Amino acid sequence: MLHRASHFWARVEIFLAAALAASITGLILLNVVTRAAGNAIYWVDEAAIYAMVWMSFLAASAAIHYRSAISVTLINEVLPDHARRWLTRFVDLVLFVFACLMVWICLRWFMPWQLMQAGWDVKAFQGQTFNFIYAEPTNTIGIRKVWIWLVMPLFTLGALLHATANLFHPGRAAQVEAAE
Amino acid sequence: MTPILFLILLFASVPIAFVLALTALWYIYDSGNLVLYDSYAQQIFSGVENYGLLAIPLFILTGELMNEGGMTQRLVRAARVFVGGFRGGLAYINLLANMFMAAIIGSAASQIAVMSRAMVPAMTKEGYDPGFSAATTAAGGLLAPVIPPSMLFVIYGVLAQLPIGDLFIAGIIPGLIMAAAFFVVVALIGLAQDFPAGEWMTLTQAARALRDALPAFLIPLAIVGGILFGIATPTESAAVASLIAFAVGWLIYREIDPRDLGRLFVRTATNSSLVIFMIAAANVFGWVVVYEELPQKLAAFISTVTSDPFTFLLIVNACLLFVGMLIDGIAALILVTPILLPIAVNTYGINPFQFGVVISLNLVLGLLTPPVGVGLYIASAMSGVRPFTIFTALWPFLLAVAGVLILLSYFPILSTALI
Repeated sequence: MLHRASHFWARVEIFLAAALAASITGLILLNVVTRAAGNAIYWVDEAAIYAMVWMSFLAASAAIHYRSAISVTLINEVLPDHARRWLTRFVDLVLFVFACLMVWICLRWFMPWQLMQAGWDVKAFQGQTFNFIYAEPTNTIGIRKVWIWLVMPLFTLGALLHATANLFHPGRAAQVEAAE
Repeated sequence: MTPILFLILLFASVPIAFVLALTALWYIYDSGNLVLYDSYAQQIFSGVENYGLLAIPLFILTGELMNEGGMTQRLVRAARVFVGGFRGGLAYINLLANMFMAAIIGSAASQIAVMSRAMVPAMTKEGYDPGFSAATTAAGGLLAPVIPPSMLFVIYGVLAQLPIGDLFIAGIIPGLIMAAAFFVVVALIGLAQDFPAGEWMTLTQAARALRDALPAFLIPLAIVGGILFGIATPTESAAVASLIAFAVGWLIYREIDPRDLGRLFVRTATNSSLVIFMIAAANVFGWVVVYEELPQKLAAFISTVTSDPFTFLLIVNACLLFVGMLIDGIAALILVTPILLPIAVNTYGINPFQFGVVISLNLVLGLLTPPVGVGLYIASAMSGVRPFTIFTALWPFLLAVAGVLILLSYFPILSTALI
């Protein structure tokens, strides 16, 4: 069940990442065209950069599910099968610990409880915590930057889901899936 | 403790991005500077909030489109027009086609994959030694990250805060020197082995081959021309190049279908994310480097050994050849640039462009050296020749690259002349 949820979410992440990759290309081309026409649109560059950051973090979370991130496999390759399985489990565990730490770090950054206690009043929240995350603007897009930063908790939850599923679903299944 | 944790995680085959991120987390805990946890996630995010990095997905997309769009065979046929008639013609065609490809593709690994599939079977069929065929192709792939565009230069430029367009231009002369060195190597091997005779094309065949390849030549023209004349940023040239690659593959060569685009964007997103996420993690790892004053300590140590920039570069080259054998080139570049660049520039007065060209070329060499020679395994998988056989035929090329590295280290002008 957990593994299927992880698999489903990884596919959603990859789909979104691919759509964002397409939009990056479109935005940069739009920039070339409008600038050549002497009528550049000022928010395009920033939007393209954020699309790229979102694409990277979504696909990076999916890479945990597919166990496809770049690593140094020097020792892994010379170990006998049995030991290699243990090493893979160790890697799964390390990634799970990382995902848990990221949950804690995102909570420290976004402080949702404190915001709730302040009655969702951003000014009061800032007065109490000196955390200005909800006030920071984007340069040109005209929305608050916290919306863009939301990719970090999204990445964190995705990573947590995939890492937990990998813990209960060891072995090469995911790699085979990716190959298919 | 921090270095030990770093090494354990790294060699336990934890993905490199997570090794960097976790090492930084541990370091913050260890140093008691706990307030850094508050900005940790934001720091990771801001590490890739960078206009230059946009070039990475776009160059990957261009490579994918070119691959699917049938440009490879046409470029090979165009190369045949120029060098096909010499004895050993196909070996020279291989190198020349690799040069054309290098001006379009920015990554050695993908170029080796494409070219091995295209060239090695053709060469073995004409009677070349399979090991030599695969080795020539793999060596030709090393041109990809030096001749612009280059993924490694994009990453180095972002890390070193240098204009990426200038870095691309800095790679032109070193790339040509390297290609010339490879041609000499093939000619020398030809003296020892008896290469199959080549055959010149008839005038009409040559004209047709050149006409077919003409649209493909638009891509390097758009990339290098756009940057050289300051019309477009490297990112914009990459986007234009991908558009040309798509239009040519779809409308002229008719080998690509708009329905394929979804699959290509998936590959673009997953492949570029592997790199960009690693850069994001390297940004928090940078804290460890900065707070521990690693460059200063290392500089103090190295400057007791030598005060000569050339000797310093030789030492760096020797160390990086070793690093490149163990770690993927892009990951290694992300790891070593923040440590070595300040030493090179501040202590030894080395030009940062020269330094970038030297370490990028050096680290990419690791693609072809065991035990972690990804390029070697790709060439082997695509051509069916055993990695060891390729490696034994490869050493003259590796020697040539080592020679070029020494040349580039000694003469900064080779990298800086065009900027």
